Amino acid sequence: MAVVIKPKKFFEVCVEAELTPELALRSVDEVKKFKVYYGNKVVELGELFEVAKQGDEKKLILDGDFSRVKWIGARMVDGEIVVKGSVGANCGAFMRGGKITIEGNADDWLGIEMAGGEIIVKGNAGNLVGCAYYGDAVGMTAGKIVIEGNAGNYVGEKMNGGEIVIKGNAGDFIGTEMRAGVIEIHGSCGFVGGDMRGGEIRIKGSFELLPTFKKTEKGWVGDVNVKGEGVIKTF
Amino acid sequence: MEDVICTFCGSVCDDGEFDTEKKKVKKFCRLGSSKFAEKQRIKAPMIDGKEVSYETAIEKAAEILANAKKPLLYGWASTANEAIRVGVLLAEKLGGVYDQCASVCHAPGTLAVIEEGLPGATLGSIKNRADVVIFWGANPAEAHPRHGLRYSISAKGLLVKDRKQRKVVVVDVRPTKTAKMADMFVQIKPGYDYAIISALRAIISGNAEVVPSEVGGVAKEKLIELAEIMKKAKYGAILYGLGVTQSRGRDRNVENAIKLIQLLNRTTRWVIWPMRGHYNVVGAGEVPAWEVGYQYAIDFSRGYPRFSPAEFSAVEVLKRKDCDAALIVASDPVAHFPKIAVKHLKQIPVIQIDPYPNMTTLLAKVVIPSAVYGIEAEGTAYRMDCIPLRVKKIIETSYWTDEKILEEILKRVEKLKG
Amino acid sequence: MLWIRNGIVVDPKNKINAEKMDIFIKNGKIVEENEVKKEECKVIDASGKLVVAGGVDMHAHIAGSKINTGRTMRPEEMRVVRNIAGKFRATVGRVLLTAPAIGYEYAKMGYTTSFEAAQPPIGALHTHEELDAIPMIDKAALPVFGNWHLVFKCIEEKNMEKLKALVAWAIERSKGFGVKVVNPGGVEAWMYGGNVKSLDDQVPGFNVTPREIITWLIKANEELGLPHSVHLHCNNLGVPGNYQTTIESIKLAKGFSNAKRQVLHVTHVQFNAYAGSSWRDAGSGAAEIAKVVNSMDNVTIDMGQPIFGHATAMTGDAPFQFSLHKLIGARWSNKDTEVETGAGIVPIGYLPNNPVHALQWAIGLELGLLVDSNKVALTTDYPNGGPFTEYPYVMAMLMSKKMREGELSKVNAYVQKATGLASIDVEKTLYEVIHMTRSLPAKILGLENKGHLGIGADADIAIYNLNPLETDTSKEFEKVYKMFKSAEYTIKGGEIIVKGGELVKEVYGRTFWVDATKKADIQAVMPDIREYFNYYSVQLGNYGVEERWIKKPARIEVV
Repeated sequence: MAVVIKPKKFFEVCVEAELTPELALRSVDEVKKFKVYYGNKVVELGELFEVAKQGDEKKLILDGDFSRVKWIGARMVDGEIVVKGSVGANCGAFMRGGKITIEGNADDWLGIEMAGGEIIVKGNAGNLVGCAYYGDAVGMTAGKIVIEGNAGNYVGEKMNGGEIVIKGNAGDFIGTEMRAGVIEIHGSCGFVGGDMRGGEIRIKGSFELLPTFKKTEKGWVGDVNVKGEGVIKTF
Repeated sequence: MEDVICTFCGSVCDDGEFDTEKKKVKKFCRLGSSKFAEKQRIKAPMIDGKEVSYETAIEKAAEILANAKKPLLYGWASTANEAIRVGVLLAEKLGGVYDQCASVCHAPGTLAVIEEGLPGATLGSIKNRADVVIFWGANPAEAHPRHGLRYSISAKGLLVKDRKQRKVVVVDVRPTKTAKMADMFVQIKPGYDYAIISALRAIISGNAEVVPSEVGGVAKEKLIELAEIMKKAKYGAILYGLGVTQSRGRDRNVENAIKLIQLLNRTTRWVIWPMRGHYNVVGAGEVPAWEVGYQYAIDFSRGYPRFSPAEFSAVEVLKRKDCDAALIVASDPVAHFPKIAVKHLKQIPVIQIDPYPNMTTLLAKVVIPSAVYGIEAEGTAYRMDCIPLRVKKIIETSYWTDEKILEEILKRVEKLKG
Repeated sequence: MLWIRNGIVVDPKNKINAEKMDIFIKNGKIVEENEVKKEECKVIDASGKLVVAGGVDMHAHIAGSKINTGRTMRPEEMRVVRNIAGKFRATVGRVLLTAPAIGYEYAKMGYTTSFEAAQPPIGALHTHEELDAIPMIDKAALPVFGNWHLVFKCIEEKNMEKLKALVAWAIERSKGFGVKVVNPGGVEAWMYGGNVKSLDDQVPGFNVTPREIITWLIKANEELGLPHSVHLHCNNLGVPGNYQTTIESIKLAKGFSNAKRQVLHVTHVQFNAYAGSSWRDAGSGAAEIAKVVNSMDNVTIDMGQPIFGHATAMTGDAPFQFSLHKLIGARWSNKDTEVETGAGIVPIGYLPNNPVHALQWAIGLELGLLVDSNKVALTTDYPNGGPFTEYPYVMAMLMSKKMREGELSKVNAYVQKATGLASIDVEKTLYEVIHMTRSLPAKILGLENKGHLGIGADADIAIYNLNPLETDTSKEFEKVYKMFKSAEYTIKGGEIIVKGGELVKEVYGRTFWVDATKKADIQAVMPDIREYFNYYSVQLGNYGVEERWIKKPARIEVV
C-alpha cells in the first residue's frame, strides 16, 4: 500500500532518511517508528513527518518540500517513490531498481553509482549526477536518469553504463573518465569527455571540445590521452 | 633568539632572528614581519560584546555547542596541531561537522589525490634537484615571498646550484610578479587549465597531431615548446596555486596535472605539489586524517566520521542552512565566504576563538581571544610540503592557547552530554 | 595488583610449554608471588585458558606521512565503521585504520606492542604525533638510512667513526629506535628515474654500492651496540628473480656476530623471494632463502604475508612503488624527501584466483613454515600485505596442514606448480607460533621486558579462550583462528584493557627510543652535518624531536 509522508515543519538542519518503497509494506505505526537522523539526534520518522496510507502499491508519496531530506531512495531495489516537491542530496544513491519521480529539483549526487531503475527529475538537478562516490572507481552502471530541466557540473563521471538524459542545459565537465553508457544533452554544456574511454555523449546545443579528440565519421572520438574510443556527437 | 619559525604562510620559514627587547624579527618577509609586529588584539573574552572571564565564555560556548543539532567547527589553518586535535575530538563528541580553510582553497587538490595520488617531493628535494620549476596558477612572489629564494626559483641547491642552472616557467592568466622572474611565461585564457594540460599530455605521448593550432589562448607551438622543456628536465616540479584549484575545473585540473606528471615519470622525473596558503593548513588536514580518516568536510552526526565535500564543507553546510551553531577557530569566514553562506552565519550562534579581531568577531555571540602560536605559544605545524616544524614561544602572554581553550570546552561538553 | 589464576601458560623465552601457573602483577610488571598481597589482588580466573605475553609486531606501517597520505588517498577505505563514538573513540577503516582504530584492533587481538618500520628522519615529528595518537599499545619507530647523502658521504670517506656518530645522532634527533635500510642506493637512483639492480651497482653520483651501504651500516650498528640490528628491506623488491639478491644480502651478515641477537634482520621477505625472470614464469625462491637463513645463526627474517583482500602498498622504496603503479595502473603517491630518502604509495588487492597474488600468498607461508621458528617472525608488513588483524589466520595456517589444504584448493592452481607449499608437511606447534609472535620479535628488537612472562617483564599479557592441553591445533584450526582474533583478556602494563574481546579501558603506551650518543663522538660528524644543512630546507636547530614533545617517551640508553 502506498504510504504518504509529509514534513510537519521546516527542519532546522537537514534530515537524513533512507526512505525506500519497502516502507509501503509496513503499517502506519511501523513507518512512524522508522529511524531517521535529525542532525546528531536519531529520531522516529513520526516526530518529523505525518504518515498516511493511500492505495495499495509499493509506493512512497513524499508530499511537500524534501529539499532538506537526504538519501531518499538510497539502495532501493524496486517499487516507486514520487516526490511532490524538491529533494535533498544523494537521492537514489546506489539504487538497483524501481522508479523515483521528483516533481521539483534534485540536489547534488543524484543517482550515485546507480545500477538499475529510473529517476525522473521534472525540475533541475545539481552537480555530480550519476557519478562514482569518493574514491570509488566506477559511477553509474545501468538504469536511466532523465532531467527535464538543467543539470549542474560533473554529470556522469566514471559512468560505465546506463543512460542520462538532460532536456535542458548541463554544466561543465560532462562524462569525465566515462567508460560506457550514454549521456544525452538537449541543451548546451561546457567541456565534455575528458579522459573518456568509451560510451557516447550526444549534445544538441553548443559545447566545448577538448583538444584530445579526433574528428571521424562517427563524431569526435577520444580521449587520445587514454587511447579512448568514446564518441561525442551532435544531434 | 635564532631559528625562529614564521607562522604566517605555508612556507613556514624557520630562520628568523627575534630581538626580544625590540620585539622585532629579522630575515622574514614583509608578510611574516608584520605578523611578528605588535597588532591589535581581542582584549578579553566577550559574550554579546560584553567582557567576561575565560571560564564564563567557555561555559557559554560549551552550552551552545552541546545544545546544537549540528554544530559546524571551522577554521584551523592558523593554529597548531595540538589545538586541531582537540577540535577534531570536540567535533566527534558533539556529532558536528569539522571543516577547515582548505575547503575554500586547496581542497580540490585533495580530491585529485583521491583520484590519482600525489607524486610529490619536499621543498628541500626541489631546491636541491629541480632543474625545471613550473608555477601554475601560483604567484609566490606575492603570496609566498621567500619561497623562491629558499626553495625554488633562486634557491642554491646541492645538485642544482643556482638560478642559472634552473629553468623557471610561469603559467597564469595574467603576467604576475612571479611571471616577470620566469624564463618562460605562458599566458592562458581563464578556465582553460584542463584543456591545456590535456593538450600537453597528448603532445608528450606522441599525439600532437590531434591538438588544434591553439588551445586556451596558447599557440600549439608554444605548447610544444613547453612540452619539450618538460621532457628534457632531469627533475622537474609543478607547483600549483589557487589559480588552478579555484577556477573552472577545480579538482579535475589538478587530477589532469597529476596524470601529466605520471606520464612524464615514464621517461624522466617530475613531481607536483600545491602552494598551500596558511602556515598550518596542512596540519588542519593531516591531524583529522589520522584521528578520523579524512582531511576536511567531515560529518560526525551519526557518531562516526563521514566525508563528503559536496555536503559537509563549510560553505555547502551554510548554503544549505545545515548547521545551527558554529565554532570558528583561527579564521575569518565572514570576510572570505560567499554572501549566501555568511547570511546563515548571521542567523545562528557563532563562537569565535582567535587572537585578532576580524569581520567574524563582529557577528560572534561568544568571542574568546587566544595566544599566537609561534610567538606566544609553542606547538607543531606542517609546512606546505608536510614537513613538521615545532613553532616556538618567544614571548610571554596571559592569553590562553587555542589548545587550552578547546580542552576546557571539551571537558564541559563531555559533562553536558554525559 | 593482579593475580591471574590457573592459566595454562605458554612462554617460550622461559621454556614454559603449557604449564598450569599463576601470574602476579604489580606496578605494571610481572612479580614473584611473595611481592603481592593476595587479598588486595584483583583475580582473573584463567582456568583452562591460554596465557601468553602480549603480541609484538616488529614491522608495520602504523604512523607518519605514508599511512596518512594513504588514508587521504583512499576515502573508500575509511568508510568501514568499526566503532561508534561513545565511551571509546569513533573508529573507521577497512585495512587502513585511523590511529585510534590501530590501537583498539591490536588490543582486541591481544597485541600490545607495534613498531613503525620506516620513519623519514626529517618527518620524525609527524611520525611521533601519530604514534602518540595510537592508544593501548607500546610503540617505536625505525628511521631510514639507506639512501641518505650523509650516509653515502661517510662510507665514501671510509670513515666509520663519522658513520657511527651520524647514526647515533640521527636516531637521537628522530627519537627513533634503530637502523632501517630500504632499497639501499635504489631510492637515490630513483631521483633521476633509475634504480639499482645488484649489490654491486654504483649508486648514481656516489662512489658507493648497496653492498657497502649494508655492510657499513651493520658494522656501525654493531659497534654502537644498538638493541636492534640493521633492519633491511632488500634491493629489487617485487622483481621476479630477486631471491638471489636477497640471499646475497643475507650473506652480508657473515663475519659479524652478536651474543644477544641477530646482526641483520631482513624484513617482509615474501616480497623478495621470487624466482623466475618475469611474472609469467615467476616461482618461489622461499626454500633457497630458508636454507640460507637456517644455516646462519646471525640472521632473522619476517614473513610479509599477503592476506587475500584489500591492501595498500606503502614503502620507502619509491622506485618500486612507481613500477607497481605502471604495472597495475592504480593511483600513485610519491614523496622525495630532501637528500634523505623517498617513499611511495599504491592501492592494491590480493585476489585468490590471480596467479601472481596466489604465488605471493604461498611464498609467505613457505617462509613461515620452512624457516626455523627461532628465525622468522610473523608479519603482514601492514598494510602492504594486508591487515594486521588477520595475524590469527596466519598463525592458524602455520599450525594446520589441513587448513592449508582447504585454502590451497581455493587459490589459483599456478601455486601448485610454482611453489612447494602443497608438499610441506610442517605444522608449527602452538609453542612455536607464540614464539614467532611474542618472544622472537621482542628478541629481534632487543626488548628485554617484552614478549615473555618472566619476573620483571612488562605486564603485557593476553589470555585466550583456548586450552592448549585439550586443543589439537592441526585439526581445530577454525577454533584457533577465532580465539586468537578476539582475546578473552588483554592486559597492558598491568591494566585490563580488553575483556571478552571488547574494549574496557583506554590507556596510552610508551614510545621507546634509543640514545646511543655516548657510544660515538658526535662531534666527529657535526662539521659535515652543518655543511649539509645548507642543502636542507630547515635549520639544523629546528631539526629533530625533543623528548618532552612525546606523550610517554621511554629512553633506552646504550652504554
